[in-house]
Amino acid sequence: MRGIALNSSIAVIPEIVSVTLRQLLGRRRAILLLLLATVPILLAILFRLADVHRIGAFTAGIMDAVALTMLLPLVAILFGTAAFGSEIDDGTAVYLLAKPIGRWAIVLAKLIAAVAVTLILTVASAGIAGAIALQPYGEEGAEAARGFMAAMAVGSVCYVTLFMALSLFTRRALVVAIAYWLIWEGLLSSLLAGIANLSVRQYALGVAGGFYKLSANEARVAPSTALTLAIVLVVVATVVAIWKLMRFELPGGD
Amino acid sequence: MTTQTQPVTEAPVHGATEAAPAIELKHAARWYGNVVAVNDITFSLGPGVTGLLGPNGAGKTTLLHMLAGFLGPSAGEVLVLGRSPHRDPSVYRQIGLVPEREAVYPFMTGLEYVRFNARLQGMPDADKAARDAIAMVGLTDAQDRAVGTYSKGMRQRAKVAGALVHDPQVLLLDEPFNGMDPRQRIAMMDLLGQLADRGRTILFSSHILEEVERIGTEILVIVAGRLAASGDFRAIRALMTDRPHNITIRSSDDRRLATALIADPAVFAVELQSDRLSIQTSHLSAFRRLIAGASRKADVRLLEVASSDESLESVFDYLVRR
Repeated sequence: MRGIALNSSIAVIPEIVSVTLRQLLGRRRAILLLLLATVPILLAILFRLADVHRIGAFTAGIMDAVALTMLLPLVAILFGTAAFGSEIDDGTAVYLLAKPIGRWAIVLAKLIAAVAVTLILTVASAGIAGAIALQPYGEEGAEAARGFMAAMAVGSVCYVTLFMALSLFTRRALVVAIAYWLIWEGLLSSLLAGIANLSVRQYALGVAGGFYKLSANEARVAPSTALTLAIVLVVVATVVAIWKLMRFELPGGD
Repeated sequence: MTTQTQPVTEAPVHGATEAAPAIELKHAARWYGNVVAVNDITFSLGPGVTGLLGPNGAGKTTLLHMLAGFLGPSAGEVLVLGRSPHRDPSVYRQIGLVPEREAVYPFMTGLEYVRFNARLQGMPDADKAARDAIAMVGLTDAQDRAVGTYSKGMRQRAKVAGALVHDPQVLLLDEPFNGMDPRQRIAMMDLLGQLADRGRTILFSSHILEEVERIGTEILVIVAGRLAASGDFRAIRALMTDRPHNITIRSSDDRRLATALIADPAVFAVELQSDRLSIQTSHLSAFRRLIAGASRKADVRLLEVASSDESLESVFDYLVRR
């Protein structure tokens, strides 16, 4: 890629981030995702009212099973696949790609935008739910809440990067991502211990385990290993996305 | 003018012979599996407006996407300003592309959209460049409205403004007049003519002959992926119009009209059918003048005059067969 100054590519990143945010936060999608993000909060209120007095019931039953296993992948799928996918589908991607900008800068800008909205929504949801339900448990409750907020943050970055790269390979990224989420993350990673090292959910739980003592059944990957694998995944998926975008072809059609 | 039925070996069109051509294709081909979209095309273009004419599915968009660097040639060479545009984003400093698909970010105003293009081009005063480009396409009054509320023709003009905001040396436009009303078309054609006068190389595609007529003094005709003809528009137009035409006529007295028409050299066959006349002529324009006078002279009332092979596809087929 000759003749593109690093500075000129860096300079346009905020512009692309801003436009991507406007694309992602269309009214319908934003309302749907805000509603989804309130689910763990509503469950936390019910948990507090029910007076269960078992911190593990909340972390396993709501933070893990609902926030981490359902809310996070769903939000990441919707934002991650739409960051590029919707532009490729409607043809507006050409306005971005027919510019003298390094492809890495476009991928980075899209990632920043999609990760930011996913992370803010899911971490805020986990944080508020944790504050409501775990407040009576003092420092232990605060550690658990911090642990799951960190898990949501790490999971957001991993999932979004993965799904964004996927959207550059197939027009059916949404369907493939949902299938991956249900089959790989939902079913196989719970049943087969060997898959734990290849599961974003397990990376996130591993990170949570660094803040709060989770059962061995919940967190199968050690915190440092989880963080390392998460970083490797993000770097590889980003490099693959840049590689694919450099080879992006517009169909002829006529 | 040159017309070819076989792959063109050398077809310089606009000003390409005087200096290094802005656009050059050397035996360029592009195929998808077994489907050949562009087949062994060679031509070169310099400053000026050139129309890329062909029926739907002829390979025009593939050709433009190859020139815009979004498709690599399967064989041959594609050069823009002396270098291959494929996988080289730096070439977009000198290229403006107006794609066929009409989608434009619907949540942006026209001005925001053009300014966004200017900023991505790294222009120092993006706002001024955007306002100037908007004025050039006549969208100033609507520049603060969301593009989602624009008519199809207005969206096309916004796309053109976005493509020329950085004053590119080469402007590629895919069916730019789609959705424009006649007044907007004329204004856009005039604008492209002005850009050409300033030394820009402009290539636009169209499947409508009349669109090319006004600005494209030079044209490339592409049919089924091959370059069927290239050169001066008027000469190719004459070829297209002065080919054998079949015309059917219904009148108050077909037999008397047949007698009047057969005497004219523009008519070389007349067939009297049960309820109509079938005429063959080699000069459509001359026949149009003839039929009015002949019917009046013979005191015959014309009920219907129809050309049975006027589709653009049949015109292109004819060119390919020559």
